[in-house]
This record gives sequence, C-alpha cells and structure tokens, in this order.
Amino acid sequence: MRKFSRRGASVAALSFPTWAYLVFFFIIPVGLVLWYSFGYKPDLFTAHSNSTLSFDRYVEAMDPTFLSTFINTLQIAGLGTLICLLVGIPFAYWMAVKVPSKWRGLLVALVLVPFWTNFLVRTLGWQIVLAPEGFVSDALQNLGILNGPIEILYTRAAVQLGVVYNYLPLMILPLFVSLDRAGVSLREASRDLGANRWRTMFEVTLPLAAPGIISGALLVFIPLMGDYITASVLGGAQGNMVGQLVANQFNSAQNWALGSAMAVMLMVFILLTVVIVGAIYLIIRAILRFNRRVLIEEPAS
Amino acid sequence: MTQNSTLSPIVGNDSLSHDSGSVQIRGVVKRYGTSPAVAGIDLQVRSGEFLSLLGPSGCGKTTLLRMIAGFEEPDEGDILLAGSSVVGVAPNKRPVNTVFQAYALFPHMTVAENVAYGLRQKRTPKAEIAARVSEALELVQMSSFATRNPRMLSGGQQQRVALARAIINRPKVLLLDEPMSALDRKLREEMQLELKVLQRQLGITFIFVTHDQAEAMSMSDRIVVMLDGKIQQVGTAEEIYTNPATSFVAGFIGKQNFISGTLGANGRVETQDGTFVCAGKSEAAAGAPVLAAIRAESIHVHTQEPTIEPNVVAGTMGVVSFLGDVIQYQITTGSGQELLARMTPTHGVLPAAGEKVWLSWAPEHAQIFPNPAPRTGA
Repeated sequence: MRKFSRRGASVAALSFPTWAYLVFFFIIPVGLVLWYSFGYKPDLFTAHSNSTLSFDRYVEAMDPTFLSTFINTLQIAGLGTLICLLVGIPFAYWMAVKVPSKWRGLLVALVLVPFWTNFLVRTLGWQIVLAPEGFVSDALQNLGILNGPIEILYTRAAVQLGVVYNYLPLMILPLFVSLDRAGVSLREASRDLGANRWRTMFEVTLPLAAPGIISGALLVFIPLMGDYITASVLGGAQGNMVGQLVANQFNSAQNWALGSAMAVMLMVFILLTVVIVGAIYLIIRAILRFNRRVLIEEPAS
Repeated sequence: MTQNSTLSPIVGNDSLSHDSGSVQIRGVVKRYGTSPAVAGIDLQVRSGEFLSLLGPSGCGKTTLLRMIAGFEEPDEGDILLAGSSVVGVAPNKRPVNTVFQAYALFPHMTVAENVAYGLRQKRTPKAEIAARVSEALELVQMSSFATRNPRMLSGGQQQRVALARAIINRPKVLLLDEPMSALDRKLREEMQLELKVLQRQLGITFIFVTHDQAEAMSMSDRIVVMLDGKIQQVGTAEEIYTNPATSFVAGFIGKQNFISGTLGANGRVETQDGTFVCAGKSEAAAGAPVLAAIRAESIHVHTQEPTIEPNVVAGTMGVVSFLGDVIQYQITTGSGQELLARMTPTHGVLPAAGEKVWLSWAPEHAQIFPNPAPRTGA
C-alpha cells in the first residue's frame, strides 16, 4: 500500500509539466469560459459579471444571425474536410506507395512548407492571388478564359479555398503515415487472392488507413470550425464564420458573457459532430464485418 | 543434368490435362536499372512437382517468383502457365497463389475471414465459403483459431493460416517465398515435413524459394540452384549433392573443402600439399588451374599415418567442435590450407588441438572444377 502510493507520487511528480500545463492552459480557461457563459454584461464599461447566474446568454446567442453563421460555418468546415480528404487520400497514397522511398522525406518536407510561414501571412497571400486586379485575374483575362476580373475575393468560395489550403497538410500527414505503415505486401496479398485494384482499395487499403482518415478528418474539422482568421481575411461580409462572432464579442463588443456562451455552444456542437461521425464510422465497420463474416458450424464432438 | 532425373519425364506434353499445373519459363530477363536481377532463365516446372529455387540472397530467385505471381513483369522472355502465356496478365487473374515471406495476413480480419478472402472475391456462395474455410483450417490444424485475430498468433500459426488462405483457392501453382525464414529451427523442420505431405495430398505444383540448402533438399522433387540471376544446376537433391555442376553448387550444398591446384594426368591434381588422385573427370586440359572439392564428411581423420589410402595429407589439429550428431575438426595442412572434416562421434579419444593428424579421402569423393579465380604466382 505504502509502496503503491509512493510510486503514485513519483509518477505524479514526473508528469508534473504535462498535467500542470493541461490544468493551467486548458482546463482552467475552458472552465472559466463555461463559468462566464452563465453571467451577464452589467454595463457598457464592464466586460462581464457573474453576480446573477442564468441561461439567458444562451437564449440571446441563438438569434438568427448566429444560427445562420453557424450553419454557414458547418458547411464550410464539412465541405473543407471532405475536399481535404478527396485531395489528401490520392496524394498520400501516391506518396506512400508510388514514390521511390528516397524521395519520400523530401515530399513530406514539401507538404510542410506552408507551415514555415505564419498562418496570417499566407492567408493574406491569397488576397493578392485572388484580387480582381491580381496576376491570376490578369492572366486568365489575357488568355481569354475570363471576360472580366475574377470575383472570388470576399466570398464564401474564397474562404473555402483558403481553409482547404491552410488545413490540407494536417490531412495529408496522418494519411501518409497510416498508408505507409500498412506496407505494400498486404495489397499484393489481396491482388494475389483475386481482388482487383478497386476491391483491394475498399477491402484492404482504406480499412487499414481508417485511423489516419479519422485523425486527419478531426485535425482538419475541429480547428476549422473555430477558425476566424481565414474568414476575416478572405471572407469579408459574406463569408462569416462563428469564430469571428465569438472574437467580436470578446474584442469589440466587450460582452464576455455572450462570447463565452457562443464559444460553449460551438464546443458542444463540435463534440456532437465528432460523436455522430464516430457513430457512422462504427456502423459502416459493423456492416463490413457482417458482410465478410464466415459462419463455421462447430463440429459436433 | 536433368536427363537422368528419377522422375518420369513428362516435359513437353503441354496439352495433357494432368499438365495443368506446369510452368514454363522461356528466356526471362528482368533488370532493375542497368543490373539484371534475372539474367536469362529457361525452366520447365512439371505439374504436381515440388520445385525449389535455391540460392544466396540477391540471386534473383524471389524476382523470378514475383514474375510468376505477376507482381513484376519480365523485360524479356515469356512465362507460360498450363501452356498459355501470363505475361501482362494482372496478378488477380492468374491461377496461382502465394505464401508470402512475412505471411501478409490482413490484420483487420479474423483468421477465418483471412482464409475466406480469395473465395469472397470470386463471389462464392456463403455456405460454400464456410464449408471450404472450415476444411482448409482443418487441413492446417487451425480450426480452433477461426475467430482469432492473426496478430494474436505465433509465427508458426500465422504461417499455417497463410498456407490455408492460399490453398483454399485451389491454385494450379502455389508459390512460397521463404515462408519458413521467421520460424525457429525445430518448428521449421516440423513444417517442412507437413508441407511435403500437404503437397502430395493436394497434388498442386509447389515452387518454393529458399536460401537454406537443407530445407530445399528435405522437401523438393527437384532443386534449381541459382547465382547472379542465372541457373547453375537443375536436378534432384541427390544429383546436386553427388554430382554438382559447378564449384559454386558444390560449395553451396553441404560443407565443402576446396584445394586449388593444377590438373595433371589421369585425374591427378597437383597441389602444394602433394598430388591427389580424383576419380571425377574434368574437361579441362592438363596444366589448367583447378579446384579439387572434398566434402567435410568425406574426409577421415587419423591419429597415426594411414598406409593404404591413396590421398593422405598431414596437418595440425585446430578447433574441434562438437555439433551433436557429428564432430567437426578444423585442420591446418603443411602449406597453410585449412580443411574441415566431419565425422560421427566414436568412443575413442578425440584428437586435441595442436596434435599432429593425418587426413585421407577416397578418390571418388573428390571432384574437380575449373578454378574460376586462380591465384597468380601460386
């Protein structure tokens, strides 16, 4: 008993940096946001007060603007994750399977190149690329592909483009790792046993890449739901995202209680989405297992 | 070398129905970059035969196997299965199955699901799949593991599952790519016997890739010895052991001693340790540099100088290793040549290291090969 507690104490001491960091920079801030969301804004010059507690801020948050922005955000995040998957899977497959292994390290480094630049700076870069008087617009007009300047900046399409660009590496890397780890021999075994390319893809390659697909989708979807830089820089008035509304409440409106309520709703919703997608994954897996099950009659002994 | 095979010669009867498992390899070349992995191979594999491709790593045996399976395509030549060319045919369309070196069992499926995989691809009815999976698992004695995950099995059990997964499809030819390299020695010897029995039972052509000469000899009807992408010799285990075609084959099978010298008259070889009589013939002209090959088990060790033996050489005993069924002696002759002798243990006193001993061997146990790399000035 004494030995056990001493061992427990040493484990706690060794992991101090980890749990202290988590407690001070994650659990306490999230707890504070949750606590603030039950308060209110007492007057023009005070950001929040918790002297009376209520759910009023949640009611206040659910106004039509917030809800429509929320749906907008969900569409951008969902579509963004889907596009990242559709682009990421073939690219990661190519990287993990087709490319000679000596080039793989270089390709991984190239995938990470965007991260060498600040998030805000590279998003601002898209403003230049997409500008109606920018070089892309000029080139397309000179080639006769477009009649007038491109009108994509400050629309939802620009935000969609921006988020796919910003989050694609986060999708490619876990996909690459899971495809690379699965190795070539299992796919060869599948072909050897009479499965064509497509059956091999759906019965061996993708099921084995499932952990990568799931972690990639979460890595893209979750930060994307809370992203407000991309939307602020490229979206203008049309491409609003919830993150901007939350930031506005904290920074401009100085209504921390309402901002917190919005943030909590966002978190709950992300959690719900993840649970739903997880359930869908489990159902698909159960169906696949049911389809390939082998019922062997036990020999009567 | 294949003419005096102990098997009935059925080569050339492609049209016969019992030849459905034959494989013909005609002038196959495969290059990686500029260096050829397979440098022109012609081979006839008979239907129902257990054939081993034997050679050191990098000799092209696995590349040849992968070309039969369809994972690689030959740069030149043709591969025929049951009389028709399979070059350009996708692996999933070939009537062959493979047992992979690391087994390559699907980790997201149970043992039974792994075994059923091939049948499911052919859209076999569920009831038939169940019956045949059960039958195949029984054949490899893995019935009680049907619902297990392959990752929870030992190496030997995984290998049985891989075997069941391949043979359930009733392939015409089964390819085995060093399937026993991950097993320990005892298990490997058990599996060799089982595999041979299984092959007889099924009547499927087995093409077995290995670098282990003992493994090849214990199971094969015929052995193909390969080096540097080329065939060195094809024959039964006995033929290859008693009548090796080249010094490489002689050295690869069993423990071989090579003594370099020059060819004299009447099968005599002149070496630095004296002149030896060899019964084997050589086409080389007198005076040509040759290697005399004597197996370790053909050399006798004497503590007194023998009088009647034709080939005797004196030496000093080096390391004596007790290997269980045999004792291996390492002897250094007067000229500094090291020779290995293997004898079954007797009850007499073992010669100790440093003692003076005499070695002898019968003329029929010495073979002569042209010396591929004669030492200049020797």
